[in-house]
Amino acid sequence: MITNLFKFSIIAILIGLFTNSNCIAQDNEAKNFKMLYKFYTTKQADNSRLLEVSFIAKHKKDRKNKVPVYEAEINFYNTSEEEDILLGTVKTDKEGFARLTLPENQIYITDVDGYINIKAEFNKTDAIKSYKKSIAVKDLILELNLEELDSIKTATLKAYTLDSLKTEIPITETEVVFSVGGMINNMPIENGTIEDGTYEFEFPTDIPGDVNNNLDILVTIEDHDDFGTVIQQKNVNWGNFKEQIKDDSNTLWSEAAPIWMYVILTILLLGVWIKYIYVIINLFSIRKDGKELA
Amino acid sequence: MDLENRKRELVKEFSPLLLKTSKTSKIWMIGLTAIILVGVYAFFVQFFKGHIVTGMRDNVVWGVYIINFIFFVCLSYSGAFIGGILHFFNTPWKNSVTRIVEIITVLSLIIGPIFILLCIGRLDRLHYLFMYPRIQSPITWDIIAIMTDLIGCFIYLFLTFIPDFAILRDNSEGMSKWRQKTYKFLAINYQDTESQRESLHKLTKTMSTLIIALAIVAYSVLAWIFSLTLQPGWNSSIFAPYFIIAGLYSGAAVIIIAMYLIRKYFKLDHYIRKVHFIGTGVVLLIMSMLYGYFTFSEYFSRWFSHKTHDNNLLDTLFTRYFWEFVLANYIGILVPLAILFFKKLRNIKTITLAAVIAVLGLWLNRYLIVVPTLETPYLPIQDTREEFIHYSATWVEWSLSFAGIAAFILFFMLLMKLVPIIPMSGIIDHEREQKGKPKRRKK
Repeated sequence: MITNLFKFSIIAILIGLFTNSNCIAQDNEAKNFKMLYKFYTTKQADNSRLLEVSFIAKHKKDRKNKVPVYEAEINFYNTSEEEDILLGTVKTDKEGFARLTLPENQIYITDVDGYINIKAEFNKTDAIKSYKKSIAVKDLILELNLEELDSIKTATLKAYTLDSLKTEIPITETEVVFSVGGMINNMPIENGTIEDGTYEFEFPTDIPGDVNNNLDILVTIEDHDDFGTVIQQKNVNWGNFKEQIKDDSNTLWSEAAPIWMYVILTILLLGVWIKYIYVIINLFSIRKDGKELA
Repeated sequence: MDLENRKRELVKEFSPLLLKTSKTSKIWMIGLTAIILVGVYAFFVQFFKGHIVTGMRDNVVWGVYIINFIFFVCLSYSGAFIGGILHFFNTPWKNSVTRIVEIITVLSLIIGPIFILLCIGRLDRLHYLFMYPRIQSPITWDIIAIMTDLIGCFIYLFLTFIPDFAILRDNSEGMSKWRQKTYKFLAINYQDTESQRESLHKLTKTMSTLIIALAIVAYSVLAWIFSLTLQPGWNSSIFAPYFIIAGLYSGAAVIIIAMYLIRKYFKLDHYIRKVHFIGTGVVLLIMSMLYGYFTFSEYFSRWFSHKTHDNNLLDTLFTRYFWEFVLANYIGILVPLAILFFKKLRNIKTITLAAVIAVLGLWLNRYLIVVPTLETPYLPIQDTREEFIHYSATWVEWSLSFAGIAAFILFFMLLMKLVPIIPMSGIIDHEREQKGKPKRRKK
């Protein structure tokens, strides 16, 4: 009886140990998940267009349990009344994102109002039903001009669309954000509303750039109903780089280490090496004694 | 007079080990030299072509070299620790084990740091480490600790060798001249007088205490190289004691393997007996339990914390490195534990088998500490080639690794040609003690 109990306990422990914790921690039935299928477009600074689908499965009961749908094939189409033109097919990555970048010279079919209609479609599989999302955006052109006017550093933005005859149509009442590029995140420096296709502001003079005083200035129109997200960027030598005055002697990151570190290291090393010297001196005395005996 | 005769007898008994080289030993030596030569060739390939011939790249900047380094250095520290303990407490069965332990300690401390040199991309800048040391860096501490420990171990080893050198010096008739000169020089005029013996015993005891303390400090410093780094899987407060336990686990296992091989090939059944295997086996059992506890505790707290990067690391361990993880942390701990736990299963062969499994498991455990962590960094390099993200060792790295192991065994064999592996002075001391006991009873 005891032997059997012992045997079964060992088997139970082994099963427990060989089991991957993640395989039982998650409920993998697709029917228990609600699919979050989102589609965005961004016109990037180099005038290319990024099409992005986010495909995430959210557990119906445990809302914190979100699983990216991995390797899902997404087809992107430029749609019109007559036909759907396949722009490309991309699989979702480990984070559940499928991204397709279309070059600046990509030709799009537009509708009568000048909108580019784009569709992102996921065809159904055995586990997940089909999903599709469409967006319609106009091709917005942002021209960022950075120049000194009467010794004042001035940023001027011109924003317009083109009609079928390539005539510039200025946009109105559109929120815009200006920011300066940073290593981890961009720093907003100005926001406002574009009226009559232009926006102008005086650039602050106290923003540090890189060591050569260069700054990346970005202008962003975020998730607009007609244009999606549009970004424009320019580099300018308007930074005001200043060496940081540091007063951090005897720290872990300064040239000189904290005092206690020197003290402890010296005590330890001296303690050990004095002992070594003591042993060596004693060895010499053993040698000397032996010489006398011999 | 009796004592002198006994010493002569012992030299006579052990001189075949010192002076004659059997056919098997010669084959071993040739084989080991061949492996070392392949390693030397690999070294030149790496030296002239650079680290591109290894599997180390931008993400995984440390590979099997650092694993071998940790393994050998830990082995050395554990040897020093165990040797120190045996001497300090004057363990009854220490005589048969102590010299094996001491030789392991010094050899592994010589070979281990060579691997760290192989890790350095710009060896021509090595002297900068000494010219511009940063006291705040655990790497600087490690350099200081290794050098201090190496010198300490050398002194300690020399102290334990002196009485045997003296015995060999006094009974070296018929031996080659270089041997006679070497023994004379190394015996430092030791005449085994009461005062010399007492003085040497005192020095050995002092050094054994120091060696234990040094081993703990050096062990901890080695662990801090990892645990003071903000990397998933490394930044842990229990890494220092974990390394100490892991080192003792591997140390006890390597001593058992060495005892088995020496006993088998040099026919020393009379000196290395079952009781020595049982004794070291029990030490290995205790270490396996402690090591298992630390390993479980380490991974369990990572899993429970639910930190994204720790989870990614555990995912990698349970998918890409699943079998390595099983071999290192289940087989490598549970099998030796199961063998050693049951008295009925304990015999020389099974204890040695448990030791071999423990050593292999521990090496793999080191691999799992180093490589998967570097493969799952906080800021990954994006859109790059597969070989830059994942690590696999090349033939150059394996050749140099095996050359290190071969050099360790070869040097061990060569040292056994210089002094007997069983300390003759220890046997005499033991017999002296045995003689002394009945006398006390008579009183």
